[in-house]
Amino acid sequence: MSEYWNDIFGGTKSLLVGLGITAREFFKPVVTEQYPWEVPVMTPRFRGHIELVKNAETGKPNCVVCGMCMRSCPSGCITLAGKKPEGEKKKVLTQYELDFTKCSLCGSCIESCNFNAIQFSKDYNLASTRKEDYLFDLLKRLEEQS
Amino acid sequence: MTAPIRCREDETFVLNLGPQHPATHGVLRVKLTMDGEYVVKAEPVLGYIHRMHEKMAEDRTFAQFMPNTARMDYLHALAYNHGYVLTVERAAGIEVPERAEYIRVITVELNRLTSHLLWWAAFLLDLGGFSPLLYAFDDREQILDLLERVTGSRLTYCYFRFGGVYNDIDDDFITGTRNFIKRLRSRLPRLYHDLVTKNIILIKRLKDIGFVSKEQCRKYGATGPLLRGSGVQFDIRKNEPYSVYPEFDFDIPVYDEGDCMARYMVRMDEIEQSMRIIEQALDKLPDGPVRAKVPKILKPAAGDYYAAVEAARGSFGCRLVCNGDKSPYRLKLRSPTFSNLSLFGEVAEGMLLADALAFMGSLDLVIPEIDR
Amino acid sequence: MNIVEQTRIALLELFPDLAAADAEARAKAEAEAAEAAEAVAPVEAEQEVTAAAATGEAETATPPPAEESAEAATPETKAAAAEKEPAAEGPRQNGVAVGDYDRHGVHLDVLCDPQQVVAAAEILDQAGFFIEAITGVDWLKEDQMEVIYDYNRNDGRLCRVVVRTRIPRAEPELPSITNVYPGANWHEREAYDFFGIRFLGHPDLTRILLPEDADFYPLLKDFTL
Ligand code: SF4
Ligand code: SF4
Repeated sequence: MSEYWNDIFGGTKSLLVGLGITAREFFKPVVTEQYPWEVPVMTPRFRGHIELVKNAETGKPNCVVCGMCMRSCPSGCITLAGKKPEGEKKKVLTQYELDFTKCSLCGSCIESCNFNAIQFSKDYNLASTRKEDYLFDLLKRLEEQS
Repeated sequence: MTAPIRCREDETFVLNLGPQHPATHGVLRVKLTMDGEYVVKAEPVLGYIHRMHEKMAEDRTFAQFMPNTARMDYLHALAYNHGYVLTVERAAGIEVPERAEYIRVITVELNRLTSHLLWWAAFLLDLGGFSPLLYAFDDREQILDLLERVTGSRLTYCYFRFGGVYNDIDDDFITGTRNFIKRLRSRLPRLYHDLVTKNIILIKRLKDIGFVSKEQCRKYGATGPLLRGSGVQFDIRKNEPYSVYPEFDFDIPVYDEGDCMARYMVRMDEIEQSMRIIEQALDKLPDGPVRAKVPKILKPAAGDYYAAVEAARGSFGCRLVCNGDKSPYRLKLRSPTFSNLSLFGEVAEGMLLADALAFMGSLDLVIPEIDR
Repeated sequence: MNIVEQTRIALLELFPDLAAADAEARAKAEAEAAEAAEAVAPVEAEQEVTAAAATGEAETATPPPAEESAEAATPETKAAAAEKEPAAEGPRQNGVAVGDYDRHGVHLDVLCDPQQVVAAAEILDQAGFFIEAITGVDWLKEDQMEVIYDYNRNDGRLCRVVVRTRIPRAEPELPSITNVYPGANWHEREAYDFFGIRFLGHPDLTRILLPEDADFYPLLKDFTL
């Protein structure tokens, strides 16, 4: 019998403590971000999908088409092509595609690039119902940015 | 606990719990043979999220396998990163700079906090309490913000590299971490213990439920909080020290009861111990490089290597068989919950369904890690 | 006596030949240690070798140096083992080797016949070990399958034991240890699932992670994606 009363007493106490804590938290400021109205700023190291880096002087991509990024990628997300124009020493990038559906944002490609030609973007508003929307043409993206 | 009333064989029925059930946290199915409200037989059915990471490893170079490790236990991804890099470093004989070791410990422990906080939230959700989830997520998000600052990701980190870490931590991270620890310390007693641990409903639902003995743990190879909740002081961080863990002063919480409450308390105490480790590591953090020079393509000598780390759920081991090639010949990933869950069937026998769910929650299951 | 040495001696029961040779070697080493202890300073120079062996016995805190057991296992018994089992190929013979813990992460490395895995499990069970994992390795070139059992202790004394055995690839069968360790159940099912290794006497040897209608064993080296 005494256990019965103990339970009732203990239960009431637990209930009051819980209500007290909840009531106090209720009057605290909101901690969540009101997303569409408040847009978070990504930290400098945020890993979005990769993008090409533009050379500050020439306005062209830094990439020399060595293919290291393509080979180091675990999932084979990167397709690139380049050609050597007449009379020039370096190859010029003609195609750089990223299949973001397979990308794990591991950073292997960026680490393996010795020419500072790719970086993580800060894009996070990526939502779509179609797979094709995630096949990014990074070269086109670079042109659009300028 | 009263013994279940046995009724006739043909009066039992089969209840499928999962694969889409909120209490299984992922895609686990448990085939329960029920006698009214009592469980007669419980058979977990695995494999709904099996991805064959071990075969993928054989197909990739050592470095290329890194992102996979984070996708096994997505709640304590950095420990899995750590276990894998430790094994490869052992195989290839790579020395890690001291600062990198400290950063590894700090980030792994922060990640352990997120894992335990999420377990706490989800476990209470299983038991029927909703608001604790919101408090725990508030704290957890703070850690994720901190980790995002250094690693760039929020859940599936690919931050460790052979011979170090991807990039250095900055002062903002250090002050942010200190502030966070202060904040969590002030919140723990009230929001966590007063609100939940001392709550009579929680105590009634966890005390003397789901008893697991020491011997059962040994026979089934259980590790982690499950083992420590059964009175065995076993933690790879202490028993088989790796990285710079011997430098820190921390305790291994042990509870002898072996019931759900003991496992709950072990995890709550571990949150405090992890905070202690982080504080000490931040105090002692040495200067220096964070990454050793390591060849891009590793080719460890042929042989057989093993390393283990303490993840939030138990000891995670990697057995690596090399044949001198640039990818592993065989990589066996020993995930702790695979063993921990294997005793579920034996223990759940004769329990009430609601108690079996509480027991399952106290095992802290992460299904992608079991299924690999 | 430290736990590694203790377990090594317990495991030597599996190999009576080696056990006898080892006991002899140990007796000899002990006698030499006693001698060395009695011997006075001037003799030290010529007894350097035996002294080195003796420290292995004296220092119980560290695992004994590898030479001791290698010494014990190789010269006399290698010939005998080879005689007994002419079919056994490869560089390693059955026996208990002390592993280089810092390099490979195990303290004891046992190679035994497939029929002996249950006996090994019983010895380790009695010594208080728990089963950590069971897995296979497919050695396609040698036409063999290796089955690896990882054991560990949880009482604070550090000793990792790995038991390995080789079975023919065409007939991947060996006895199950589920009667000794119920926890081996799922690990054996997993090895069956990935490699097709059949554990005789297993209560329910079915697919565990792959779908039950899968007709392939993905971790075999001749299974290509
Ligand atoms: S590694 Fe760098 S330079 Fe080479 S192809 Fe890739 S982006 Fe271009
Ligand atoms: S981040 Fe990783 S997965 Fe993504 S493209 Fe680069 S290498 Fe490939």
